[in-house]
Amino acid sequence: MPALNKLFDQYNDRVAFLAVYISEAHPSDIWQMESNIRDKVVFASPKNQEERAEIATTCVRRLGLKFPSVLDEFGNSTERAYTGWPDRIYLIDSAGKIAYKSKAGPFGFKPEELAAALSRLPSRIGHVGISNF
Amino acid sequence: MKNNDIMAGSRRQAKSRRILRFLAGLFITLAVVYLSFGGFVFWAMHQPPEVFGRVMKRIPGPVAFLLYPFETLWLRARVGALNIGDTAPDFSLERVNKTGPIQLSALNKQQPVVLVFGSYT
Repeated sequence: MPALNKLFDQYNDRVAFLAVYISEAHPSDIWQMESNIRDKVVFASPKNQEERAEIATTCVRRLGLKFPSVLDEFGNSTERAYTGWPDRIYLIDSAGKIAYKSKAGPFGFKPEELAAALSRLPSRIGHVGISNF
Repeated sequence: MKNNDIMAGSRRQAKSRRILRFLAGLFITLAVVYLSFGGFVFWAMHQPPEVFGRVMKRIPGPVAFLLYPFETLWLRARVGALNIGDTAPDFSLERVNKTGPIQLSALNKQQPVVLVFGSYT
């Protein structure tokens, strides 16, 4: 996450960042991970949207994300549309087309690939113009 | 004397044939078990997160990770329907801090958007 915050700092003026909070990958009642017990991150699966919102609030605070986050609805429609679980990164260009799609996490979650994709975005006139110097 | 030798020889041959048949049977059985279990894990990878999580919980320790090319299967199972150049599906979702919804298409009007899907665990 620090890597993503760093990219946010770098591109904040021309790219919007949005975290989409989806189903927990390892809730305690389904597939608990030892590493999460060690880190004291133990959550049962939320039973409804309110519970999910509560967990999301805690998590977003602990993750220390600098950019806004939204909560997928309880039917996980957005996760399903984007195959976002357990984690995944997309870059959508200003025409609304997908410019970068990471492979599925955890293996494919690579902020450095996003960094490369961001650097390939066409720079907007005025941002790297002479006026900046 | 000679007859006895021939009989002993064919008994030995019969015995080694039995062993070979047994080994071949064992190999085929193990292969079938290995492939069907792998097929089951691959099927589970295509299911919703809760179903996949429940399946993985029942598989002891790192078995699935050690016996199968887990990462390759996972990346293939979770490749998803969207491709580079596709129109990003629109959504409108409530902010975690409950200050109203954000609509992707509205956010995307003026600028590119990075979407980070994830949770905490």
